[in-house]
Amino acid sequence: MTCEELRDEYGAWALGIAEDPERTEIAEHLARQCPVCVPGVRSAMAMVTAMSNIVPSVEPPQYLRDRVIGMVKRGGKKSFVGFLLPWAACAAMAIALVVIALPSRSKNPDTAKLTEALSILNDPTAKQVTFGETAQPSRGRVFVSGGKGVLFIGASLPKIAPNKTFELWVIPAKGNPVPAGTFQGEADATAVYVRPGPVQGDAAAVAVTVEPEGGSPQPTTTPFIVIKLNGA
Amino acid sequence: MILTGLLLALEMSGQDDRTLIRGLQRKDSAAMAGLYDRFGRTAYSVIFSIVRDGAVAEDLVQETFLRVWNRAQTFDGERAALGPWLLAIARNRAIDHVRSAGARMEKNAFELDAHEHPSLFVDMERDLVNSDHARVIQKALAKLSENQRQVIHLAYYEGLSQSEMAERMGQPLGTVKSWVRGALKFLREEIGEALTV
Repeated sequence: MTCEELRDEYGAWALGIAEDPERTEIAEHLARQCPVCVPGVRSAMAMVTAMSNIVPSVEPPQYLRDRVIGMVKRGGKKSFVGFLLPWAACAAMAIALVVIALPSRSKNPDTAKLTEALSILNDPTAKQVTFGETAQPSRGRVFVSGGKGVLFIGASLPKIAPNKTFELWVIPAKGNPVPAGTFQGEADATAVYVRPGPVQGDAAAVAVTVEPEGGSPQPTTTPFIVIKLNGA
Repeated sequence: MILTGLLLALEMSGQDDRTLIRGLQRKDSAAMAGLYDRFGRTAYSVIFSIVRDGAVAEDLVQETFLRVWNRAQTFDGERAALGPWLLAIARNRAIDHVRSAGARMEKNAFELDAHEHPSLFVDMERDLVNSDHARVIQKALAKLSENQRQVIHLAYYEGLSQSEMAERMGQPLGTVKSWVRGALKFLREEIGEALTV
């Protein structure tokens, strides 16, 4: 679509209510730094932001300030960063344990796996999302690096039949889920799975399903984990 | 409705964006404190107005500020407006939450990264949230038709897509789109010019 055709949709896009095909078209124009659409959308974004002016003012609780600052203070108690770091540490340790546990059998592949996992953890652009704190019974954390791959760490995973497997999916903003490999849970219902390599397209979510052994080209069951990648 | 007025204007005019951004880029927690002191209440208000749940709003405020902290390196403090960026992130988090909670995620995939890209906040007025703009916006909204006001409300506060609005209002999609387009065009004409530098 041309910029002229999209012009009337800038406001809807800025509000997050544009629908396809305009929504995708505008995103594409923005992605290529379209000299017409970028300033047009910027103006619309300013208008939407300015609407914050008419939102009823609500005083946040006093402790929220401490919580926000505590997230980034080194050594802060119960900080969000403090919450993230153990996950990263646990991931590294879990992977390291895999390596230690199987030294003689397959040292090189496991070392490679550890390297791959650490490379995802070390990617500052990797998206990382905690899941299972509310609705989902399984808990864990996923790291998605566009260039390095996906690292999935899960606990409280469901028990599955021996002829079944967990399958990880990367769900693009548009289009069908892309299979990202199969894995098995451990006896304690945990799993650490690394899918190395570039993640195709713009990953909007990661999901896990139970599939027949060997995996499926498309999900055949409802995902029991769906993790939206909000870029946090 | 609020108009936070003078207090908010004073709050927003305290520290310089560039100083704050430089501090955030240095990972200085004092800059985070300054950021919160300037935008914490507005961010909380925006989020709360959408999610209507204090505990959820608190979590989303944390996510918002953490997002800014993590992405500060990508932000051009010399050209881009920090407040509008943060408030856009805040609203996006809230809308994303209500859509996810309503199982509307796939239907209304919301490209958060695209909507929060710092380049969209370049050359934007830094002091977007102030009582003068509030008056202009209130006045402009008052001039909209009832249906136009309603679609703007449903979009801003509930993040409903145009198809969902059509369903909610029992109107054809084309009609709703026309209301949305007309309302936004009018608002842009009335207040848009004043918001860019």
